[in-house]
Amino acid sequence: MSKKKTKIKLELSRRDFLIVGGTAAGSIVAAQLLTTGPLSPFASFKQAQVEGVNQAGATPVGHRWGMVINLDKCIGCEYCLRACSATNDVWVDPTMERPEKPWNIVVNDKTSTGTPFFFSRPCLHCADAPCVEVCPVQATYHRNDGLVVMNYDRCIGCRYCEIACPYDARKFNWQARADVNSYVPTWGIPEVERRPRGVVEKCTFCIQRIDAGLKSGFMPGEDMEATPACVNICPVGARLFGDLNDPNSKVSQAVSAEATIRLREELGTEPSVYYVIPKEGL
Amino acid sequence: MATQTLGERKPFSISPALLAWLGFLGLCIVIGLVSAFQVFWNGLYITNMSDAVPWGLWITIDLSSIALGAGAFTLSAVVYLFGLKRFKPIIPLAVFVGFIGYTCALLTLVMDIGRPDRFWHPWIYWNIHSVLWEITWCITIYLTIMLVEFAPIIAESRLFSRYTWIGTAAKYLHRAAPVLALLGLGISLLHQSSLGATYGIVKSRPIWFKPSMPIMFILSAVAAGPALTMAIAYIVEWVTGKKSISDDILRTIARFSGFALLVYGYIRFWDLAAVTYYGRTPSVSEAFHLLSQQTPYNFSFWVFEIILGVFLPAVLFLTPRFNRNPAYLVLGAIFAVLGILVNRWNVTVGGLFVPLSYSPGTLYQLPPGKYFPGLPEWGIAIGIIGYALTMLTLGIRYLPLFGKEEHS
Repeated sequence: MSKKKTKIKLELSRRDFLIVGGTAAGSIVAAQLLTTGPLSPFASFKQAQVEGVNQAGATPVGHRWGMVINLDKCIGCEYCLRACSATNDVWVDPTMERPEKPWNIVVNDKTSTGTPFFFSRPCLHCADAPCVEVCPVQATYHRNDGLVVMNYDRCIGCRYCEIACPYDARKFNWQARADVNSYVPTWGIPEVERRPRGVVEKCTFCIQRIDAGLKSGFMPGEDMEATPACVNICPVGARLFGDLNDPNSKVSQAVSAEATIRLREELGTEPSVYYVIPKEGL
Repeated sequence: MATQTLGERKPFSISPALLAWLGFLGLCIVIGLVSAFQVFWNGLYITNMSDAVPWGLWITIDLSSIALGAGAFTLSAVVYLFGLKRFKPIIPLAVFVGFIGYTCALLTLVMDIGRPDRFWHPWIYWNIHSVLWEITWCITIYLTIMLVEFAPIIAESRLFSRYTWIGTAAKYLHRAAPVLALLGLGISLLHQSSLGATYGIVKSRPIWFKPSMPIMFILSAVAAGPALTMAIAYIVEWVTGKKSISDDILRTIARFSGFALLVYGYIRFWDLAAVTYYGRTPSVSEAFHLLSQQTPYNFSFWVFEIILGVFLPAVLFLTPRFNRNPAYLVLGAIFAVLGILVNRWNVTVGGLFVPLSYSPGTLYQLPPGKYFPGLPEWGIAIGIIGYALTMLTLGIRYLPLFGKEEHS
């Protein structure tokens, strides 16, 4: 048996050397670019962190509208639901057979110790909103003032946003609207068009009021003209509205003075709605 | 030779069996069209979907038909990427089945979106962060690639034989086939996985939010897609009585599917272990508890998805006792397809059944999402199946899907 020796020879031509060397050098450059440079997929993450620092800092730019809902004060009268449904002309199933809800919900809740309280929820206008991220056509988008609003002319009705929203704050127009809104005119007059069949819709914090109000010199949260309907109508003042970037606004003061929570903070959605928890705790 | 067969064949000879089949297909399509008209006229209100369960049977069909169209890209990969040229005869059929799968998905999607008149918006208004946007683009590009890949086959059909320039153009396209197939591969791999990511990225839904979602989707598609192509090849052979693709090739595809199913089953096992045992969180445990208490989720998972959908086909495809008999291979493929369907249903509807928990308190919970498809939804489903079978029938009758070697 002849001994067969397989020799592993490493022959490196200049060409091979250049290829291998070039690849190695290229990888290092690519790694650098991917981890630190502006091309890095982590860049947005870092930017968000930096922005977080800025928010805590002294010079925030522009408005960031937010709401504080005081669970301790809320009496569950549903006025906010009604005013919202009238002002924004939201369809609510009169037969209650389908699980469609208004933009603004009010439900009975209990703390872990069994104390009942009322829980209400508009859209939370997340700073990092899952619905904005998933929309395939950018029909849902962030305005500069932090509000998450929709372009109803662009929505294709795929309902992915409805599925992605962690707070169930979205509503689809399953049919063409031909109903008489029973909340009108007792609770308000519609200020916006009815949305067409086949698009998703959501709470806007009444942008029609905010925008028109700011133009006429009113301050949202301070003047009724520029403040969301649900905040204006609340008989016990359980809802506050204002600029979270302005340390002197009602909302900023409430957030710094009271024990507040935001819903499902662990998801990292950064909602603009803060809840003052009941005195008994949650 | 070709002209002779042309002369022999009477173009309008229809046997009673074929007539009955065409009647059945026509009925399916009519049911589909009536349902489609109903839905377009009245809106999605007449379906049983709701704000609690906004996706249902149609999305299940969508996902399944795309997954089942995966035979196209898997077998193209086998031929063009791994260079196993002996599988080439199956490529036209695989691409055709893939094409049918993707068009089925698009048809269902058009029914499912609220504004079908705006179906083109993802092409114009880009949201590069959206998985769904990426899927739309991938499907568009991939469908185009399949069309181009398929064009030479269409050009070869008798319909175009009088125009010689089509044949010449087709020849050049045919040369580009490997490049197209590779391009299609990347795109296909991407969106098959992204369909899983559509669910996997939704962080508020406990049974969806996991990194394994895209992997599960791609693996199950790679396993079941080729099996469907294989089964169709056999069924066509039985119906037409013509042997077109050798048993050897089909059996090898079945064995490949069997192994792929085992790999899928294996990773599925660890996924299950990680999600429900090692890495369980209260919300995930609660979600599974709710599903097992109030829905047949557990039963359908274990029986339809795992035993009938993975293990039974794997056994039929891999053991010599069964895989020599084409009937068992077809049976196995049917079960694998069923497994895919049930899996996509369980993912979609099961995930939506579990209510969101966002309330700060402990006692308030949204009611679980109730859903069972309504009549219009079933109607569309029947219509889609009718469309798929009609396309298949027409393709097999009029397109040279098999036996390309004979005259080239």
